[in-house]
Amino acid sequence: MRLELTSWPLFAGIIAAILAIPLLTQDGYIIQLLNIAILNAIVVLGLNFVTGWAGQINFGQAAFYGLGAYTTAIASKSGLPWITTPFLSAVVVIAASLMLGLPTMRLRTYYLAMTTIGFGEIIRLVIVHWEPVTGGTSGLRAIPGISIFGIGPQGQAQHYYLLVAALALAVSVATRVRHSALGRAMIATRDSEIAAEQSGVDTTRTKLFAFMIGAVYAGLAGCLYASSIRFISPDSFSGTQAILLMTMLIVGGMGSIAGSISGAIALTLLPEALRFLGQWYLVLYGLGVIAVIVMAPGGLASVASLSQWRRAGVR
Amino acid sequence: MGQLVVNGLALGSIYALVALGLLLIFNTVQIVNFAQGQLLMLGAFIGISCAVTHELPMAAAWAITMVAMALVGIVFMVLVYFPLRGRPAFLVILTTIAMGIVLENLALIIWGPLPVSLPSPVQGPPLRFAGVVVSMHQLFIFATLAVILFLQFLFLTKTRFGILMQATAQDLHTARLVGIPVNRTIAVAFALGAVLSGIAGLLVAPIFLAEPTMGGSLGLKGFVVSVIGGFGNLPGAVIGGLFLGLVETFGARYISSNFRDAYAFIVMITVLIAWPRGLFGEKSSEKV
Repeated sequence: MRLELTSWPLFAGIIAAILAIPLLTQDGYIIQLLNIAILNAIVVLGLNFVTGWAGQINFGQAAFYGLGAYTTAIASKSGLPWITTPFLSAVVVIAASLMLGLPTMRLRTYYLAMTTIGFGEIIRLVIVHWEPVTGGTSGLRAIPGISIFGIGPQGQAQHYYLLVAALALAVSVATRVRHSALGRAMIATRDSEIAAEQSGVDTTRTKLFAFMIGAVYAGLAGCLYASSIRFISPDSFSGTQAILLMTMLIVGGMGSIAGSISGAIALTLLPEALRFLGQWYLVLYGLGVIAVIVMAPGGLASVASLSQWRRAGVR
Repeated sequence: MGQLVVNGLALGSIYALVALGLLLIFNTVQIVNFAQGQLLMLGAFIGISCAVTHELPMAAAWAITMVAMALVGIVFMVLVYFPLRGRPAFLVILTTIAMGIVLENLALIIWGPLPVSLPSPVQGPPLRFAGVVVSMHQLFIFATLAVILFLQFLFLTKTRFGILMQATAQDLHTARLVGIPVNRTIAVAFALGAVLSGIAGLLVAPIFLAEPTMGGSLGLKGFVVSVIGGFGNLPGAVIGGLFLGLVETFGARYISSNFRDAYAFIVMITVLIAWPRGLFGEKSSEKV
């Protein structure tokens, strides 16, 4: 707790820096990239409920992201007002997460990994082959932007502020859930399912809730993705993307909100910064993920908090 | 109809081989290797380098590939499994996936993105009866699967190393206590697992072309087969493989070829909902 009191200037500094970025750069490409990074951060925060807290592997998160994005794109292109799309996206991903979660939340590690990979692949194949509705591999263009009764953000910078606000909301909800009975039940389920059951936690229900909340995060991020980037294609929501989201969580730090966000932002920006490496980037990326898992299983978050503790004289 | 059965069984035999490689590793360390498909791809490309680029005779290409894959398997174990002994299975899944990404992109750097073909080790006119054509390569695939299944069964139940593997699988610490060279046993399991996927790669490359990204989907089919057959179950893996090959071939012909890759997952999810431990049951249960 002392950490929170002493580190508030740091937080204020970070917030000021976040808000100042669009003032410092006029480069639309950089802001666009940051917008995608923020959206990924929301999706990874959602994944953190399932994998970081409830301890369940999930390679279906990219598919939920895609379901939200495609629902929004199809609905708003067919003329529905934008304000309905977050609700539609949420309904679709909740239905999908129940469909996948109800039968599979009892499964063990490998089986769960495989069914979620399979789910993602089936959704991707439907998107690719249902061309009249989804545009197939070329995706959907000119998706109507965010607009609530005619008022909406204009330009990259305004979208940036809107997405920062969405991320802040996502963080505050995650913090609240973490400190609720449901959040404690998730942690108990992760640490030992058998012990949690013995203590009266309904682990299947807890896992299902974590899974659903995670899916809603991804679905809403997908909704914002479609209406702020305004172009979607199946590649953004493929199985590769699902693995990428998982590595963002691992590298950032499973179970940590700050870790989820920093992992997502770092691994969205890094490929752009290291573009000169070409194909070698992915080789180093794979080796880097292995190195993090082996040497710093808590990810960036654990490395940061360790040095903070050392500075405070706590070991 | 008969032709579809033959094609389906040939495809299914390859899936079964991938699953048999997974099974060797799983039966020893209870780890599912999510880079098995990339090992298969590597096997295919080593074979192509030997037989096509350096024009070695086919038998030499096969021998070199098998030796190389055994070494790859051991390196793989040292990098991916060894540092994570005793850590949650979930983390090992991720390191094997990460290693798959490394192998795939190394292959892209070394061999380029273009698909390459590897000739079959057996040549000759196809057999025909009652309108069904069976190519020599398909016969060779069936024969290879039968031989490997037989050898693997003998190896696991009759040889010293096979029994050591079973002991290691049951309880690693007790195995070490009674003097079993656990690390060497695990290294052998990984080496043989990699060799099996290498053979699967050499068999696949003459049918489909080999390309660096071929591993992902074939590896996943191997897991689907393992799930259907029950992880660690030898006959289950073979029957599951043949079954999946038939489902895909018939599904592609009679339902839609667009969703070819989806059938495997639909079958798997259905099986898991009905029988959470696979059709043929899983031998081991959760350790408390």
